[in-house]
Formats: sequence, structure tokens, C-alpha cells
Amino acid sequence: MFTTGFKFFFGLFAAFCAAALVYGYTTGGNHVGPLSLGWKGGVGDHIGYGVLVALAGVSLTISLVLVSFRDADAAAQAHLQNLAEVLTDQPVAASFWPVVASFGVGAAAVGLVLHPMVFVLGLAVIVLSMVEWTMDAWADRATGDTAVNRELRNRIMAPIEIPVVGALGVGVIVLAASRILLTVSKLEAVAVAGVVSALILGGAWVYASRPGLGRRLVRVLGTVGALLLLIGGVLAAVAGEREFHPHTDDTHEESVEPTGGEHGG
Amino acid sequence: MTLTEPAIADSEAAPGAGGATAPEPSDEAAAAPSILAQPFVTSDAAAVGRLFVLTSLLLAVGTSVVGVLLSLGRTEAVAPWDLFGGFNAYFRMWTLYRMSFMLLVVMPLLLGVALAVVPTQVGAGNVAFPRAALASFWSWLIGAVIIVVSVLAGGGWGAIDGVTGNESDAMALTLLGTGMVIVALMLGAVTVATTVISSRQTGMSLLDVPPFSWSMLVAAAVWLFTLPVAIANLVVIYADLRGRPAIAFGRAESPDIWLQLDWLVEQPAVYIMAVPVLGIAVEAVGAAVGARSSRPEAITVIVGLFGLLAVGGWSQDYFTAPQDLRDGLVYVAFGLAAVLPLVALAGGAAELVLRGTKTPDRLLDVRMMGAGAALKLLGAAALVGALRVIEPLDLLETTATWAVFHGVVVAGLIAGVVALRNWSHELQISPLSVVVGRGAVALLLGGGGLLVLSDLISGFLADAPDLMALALDGSAALNVVALAGSVLVAAGAAAAAVGAVSALRTPVPAGEAA
Repeated sequence: MFTTGFKFFFGLFAAFCAAALVYGYTTGGNHVGPLSLGWKGGVGDHIGYGVLVALAGVSLTISLVLVSFRDADAAAQAHLQNLAEVLTDQPVAASFWPVVASFGVGAAAVGLVLHPMVFVLGLAVIVLSMVEWTMDAWADRATGDTAVNRELRNRIMAPIEIPVVGALGVGVIVLAASRILLTVSKLEAVAVAGVVSALILGGAWVYASRPGLGRRLVRVLGTVGALLLLIGGVLAAVAGEREFHPHTDDTHEESVEPTGGEHGG
Repeated sequence: MTLTEPAIADSEAAPGAGGATAPEPSDEAAAAPSILAQPFVTSDAAAVGRLFVLTSLLLAVGTSVVGVLLSLGRTEAVAPWDLFGGFNAYFRMWTLYRMSFMLLVVMPLLLGVALAVVPTQVGAGNVAFPRAALASFWSWLIGAVIIVVSVLAGGGWGAIDGVTGNESDAMALTLLGTGMVIVALMLGAVTVATTVISSRQTGMSLLDVPPFSWSMLVAAAVWLFTLPVAIANLVVIYADLRGRPAIAFGRAESPDIWLQLDWLVEQPAVYIMAVPVLGIAVEAVGAAVGARSSRPEAITVIVGLFGLLAVGGWSQDYFTAPQDLRDGLVYVAFGLAAVLPLVALAGGAAELVLRGTKTPDRLLDVRMMGAGAALKLLGAAALVGALRVIEPLDLLETTATWAVFHGVVVAGLIAGVVALRNWSHELQISPLSVVVGRGAVALLLGGGGLLVLSDLISGFLADAPDLMALALDGSAALNVVALAGSVLVAAGAAAAAVGAVSALRTPVPAGEAA
């Protein structure tokens, strides 16, 4: 009767309505203003209330559209395709997001006691996991074909995941490499940068010239390299930066305490 | 292909519902995750169940070893505070033993069995929310790690001799870990309950589901009525502990934290662990002698009644004077009435034996022995519980409390062993070895019996309330009996864990299992 999509968006509609009411009354709303969209009384903070009501309206509209078109309704689809039987039991695809969500909860719990940054990181992981998990759950039920389901899911999520994961990867690499280069001496930094660059260039050249190279081997080498970089970055961060000797007007070099982000020379 | 093509029914229905059929999985979909990746990504509830069973049995070994050390501390051989390095440390381990046996051993063990067995029993291909089941396991495991590490780092559920700043942080972590474990167990319970309610085969009414599935439905409902109350306690305590007084009851320098949570391991709430034991016992006896109950509806009512009597969120006496609550009619009635369903269920099991095949090999079957042992211990626990609430006997704040606890948790462990033997196909493992099964059951029964007996008699001997049994003069012999009981329980838990590891090493593929 009520499809999965309808239930999800109708639930969102109810949640946004409740949020709008609470927000309205806690920001100065009076009488039945927040209940009557401002017809009989004030609604409190107009912008926040308006955003929440708009979100509720959008959710309600989507839910009605979904139920009208029988989204994720196996019986309706079977009728359309003239199928004799209703396909209902899709195997649920393997997913690592439940585990990631659990680790996020654990990180949030530990962070609540030990460090706010860990808590925020845990919350971010939980939110990310919930979004991904929701998409996986929707995709599992989108069609009767698991391969098509996966394709549908990737069509929506890959344009988001790839840039985000890429940006995170680049960020981690830059952060870890910079920690290493700032920890070792100037000469060693040049040597490390040169050797690592040469290794990356050489590896890419080998891979480009021999396309038949096993994907597994490349994956293993990439993983090992990334782990080494990460471990090196963590160790370097723990060891701290080397001392810098910036040039000044009066003296050629003066020893100063190391500070974050300072580049001397 | 559009986004409106067929999908699973609204209620995430089971296969077979409404004449529905499962589609052939594509080659890509059939590609199972590698054995290393499986524990992290699996959507197979039986695999999650195995993870729960194995991990909880391993934790059972660790917890029962702590129990041996605590019992050693009760004897005059070693002073308790010397054993762990101080009175606070002893108190930490004393509370860890109780919380761990409940939240990290018995409840997850039975939940793991349910995740594997219930879908098969109700005719569903999988549990209702397989990913939630996986999240339940990992959240529970991470919470368990947080609890153990924080307790070892000086945390725990309160302290008696005062705390330092670091210990206060560790205590906060213990509370958060406890909350995480409880939420994870509730998530698993919701998954199992939803499977029974909404994924049943067409034509199977709730009264038709097998006793174990019914008992898990009742248990899940009771857990969901009881455990959120403990979460509320934890929130209040946490707020107090972090310097933002909520009600200012949870002072870290006293055992007040424990006193707000101890209702969870005392009757009637302690029985929430035991509800699935009833279902396991009935089914195991029936399977062993090859008989079915002539009154299945009676079993349903008995299990439901026992579940009702296990709802215990209301029974905490921290916020009221103990005499107001625990001498009250309701508390006494709950304590006395808990014996009745167990007696009735024992009658039901006896009827099965009478109706079934009574050859020696069947009567000595691991399932038969185990079911009998679990029911005996549970019955003994309920009987002690009934004595405990009789006011003139003065047993309320004595070790009789732990006689009930020990009877219930050891019965739960035995039920786990029975389940490993009875449902090896559903768990997709090789059957538990007969020798190991019998050995584990005998050791656990002997150990549990000694613990119940010694705790009860110690309770009678106590001149004043003494929950930790540290001031019991003249009961040295009883303390030695308790130590022997703890050693036997630890040996039984170890045997069960070894048997489970051995059975899990040779998994039976799902197709063959069916």
C-alpha cells in the first residue's frame, strides 16, 4: 500500500514539521502561529522556520509523487511487466557501512570523553555512514536485478564519492608527506622527495608500459605505499618538526621555536 | 529500466509471502566476500550470529576467570584488595564480572543464536534488517572493548575510595561503553523481533511460531521495555559525573553509580536473560526425544508469562527507600510468581519426554542433558528469588542476590551449548562434539549449582547486608565451595568456547545446511 520511498519521505515530512514547531516556539513563536504557518500568531525566527517548513513541503511532495507512481512496489511492477509472480526477496548486498557506522559511534563515545575533535570526527563518520547506508538500502530494492541495482546506486553516489574520497586521499597524502619533509633535515627532505617522486614516476611508467600487469599487484603495492606514507606521517607528526632558521635583517640566521606552518630556509 | 521497477515489499517481507518468489541472483551478486572481508561486510544473519556466539563464548572464558579470582578473594587465602591492587580495583572487577556476564556473554550469546535460527524457523530467507544485525554486532564489540579497556584503566561503575581525574574519565568511558553495548543489543533485538512479526511464512500465525522464536520475540520485547531504563540511568549518571549535575546522585567517589545500575543484574530484571532459555530447552527436549508438545499454546503462554515477570525497569530502589519498593507487594509478587512458569515449563518438558522415545542414547543426548541442566539451574535461581523476597528471611541485600544471578547466567551459558548442538545446521557449523558438549554441560551445571548453593547459604549466615561477601566470618568453607563452583564454571565456559571454535572451523555451506 505505502511504498518504501513514501514511508521514508513522509517520515522526513513529519520530522521537519516537528522541528519547525519546536524551532518556532523556542524562538519567540506565540499562540498557534507555528501551527498555522503564522496565520494566528507569530512563528518566531522567520528564516529558520521558513526553511524547515519548506523542507517539510518538499518531503511531502516527493512522498506523494513516490506513492502515486508506486515506486518500489513489487506488485505494481509485476503487473506492468505482465509477470506471473511478484519478485520480492532481493538478496541484500554486502556492505561495510554498518561497520563504519559502528566505529563512528565508538569514536564519538571515546571523543566525548577524550577530545572534541574525535567526537566531531565520529559524528561525521556516522552521518556519512547513514547516507551511504540509506542509498545501499534503497538500491537493494530498486529493481529485481542486483547488478542493475548496483549500477543505479553507483550512478547516484559515484559522482559524490569519487571527488570526496579523492580530495580526502590527496589531503592525507599532502599532510603525511609534509609532516615527513618537515621532520627530517633539509638535505634528507630533498632526498626523500626525490626518491619518492622517482618511485611514483617509475611505477606509473611501468604500469603504463605493461598494461597486462596484475591489478591485484598494483593494488597491493598502492596499499603498501599508502600505509607506509601514513605511518611515516604519523611518526613524523609525533617526532615534531625540525628547527628552522629564518633569515632576518640583522642577522643571517636565528634559531627560533618551531611553529606550525612556518617555512624557513 | 526505471527507478520504479519491482522491489521488496513494503514490510521487507519474507520469501514466500503472498506467493512471492526469490529471483535468481546474478553471477556478480553471487560472488561472496572473501573470508577475511566477510565479518565486516556480510549481510547473512547466520554469519553475524556465529560472530556473536564465538565472541561471547570467548568473553565468557575471560569473565569466568575474573569470577575465579573474585572467589579466591572471598577465601582467606588472599586478601581481596591484594589480589587486584586495592579496594577500588576489587570493586571494579566485582562489578565488571556481573555486567560482563549479562551484557557481554549471555545476552549476546542467545541473540547470536536467534539471528541464525529465527529466520529459518519462521520461513524467512534472512532477518528483517541484515545490515542492522551486522551493525549490532560491531557496535556491541566496540562497546565491549571500550568497557574492558576503561575498567582496566581505572574506570568502572563507581569507586569506593575516591577517584583521580583520569579515573573519572575512564569511568565516563565505561558508562558510554555500557550504553553502546545496550543500544547494540536492542538493535539486535529489534531485528529479531521484526523478523518474527513481519517476515513469517504465509499462513503462520504468531501462535504457530516455534517455541524458540516465540521466546526470542518475548525476550526482545522485554529487553526493549527494560534496557532503555538503564540507558536513562546512564545518562543521569554521566551528566553527574561530568560536572553538570543532573540529579546529583552519581557521585564518583562512592559506589552510587553501581547502586543506580545494580537493578539490572538483580531480580526481576535479571530474568530477561533467561527468557530465550525456555524456548531453547523446550525445543531441545523435543528434538532429543523426537516429540512435539500436545499443548503448544500452553508453552506460548508460559514463556509470555515469564517474560512479563522479567520486566524490571521499575524495580530500582535507588531513588526510593528500599523498604518502600522491595518490601512492597508488587516486588514480592513478582519474586514469588517467577517460579510458577518455570514449574509449568518443566511439566511441559516432562510431557515431551513421556511422549517421546525414551532410549538411553536419547535421554543422554547433549540437548536433553543441557535442557534439563538449564531448567534445573533456572528453577533453582527462581526458587532462591522467591525466598529472597520473603521479608522475614532477611535475604534481600545478601549474597542470595548473586545466587539468583549465578543460576540465571549459567543456565544461559548451558542453553548456548545446547543451541550449538541443536541448531548446527542453522548456524552453518559442524555439530558440537558430544564429548565436549556433555563435559561443558556437566561442568557448568556443577559449577552453577555450587555457586547458587554457597551464595544462598552465605546469605542466610550473613548478620547484616553484605553484597560483596567480604565480611562473612565463619563461612570459610562456603567460600571454598564458591571458589570450586567458579572454577567449574570457568572450565565449562572454556570447554564450550573450545567446542564452538572447533565447530566453527568446519562451517557447513548454507545450501547443505538447508
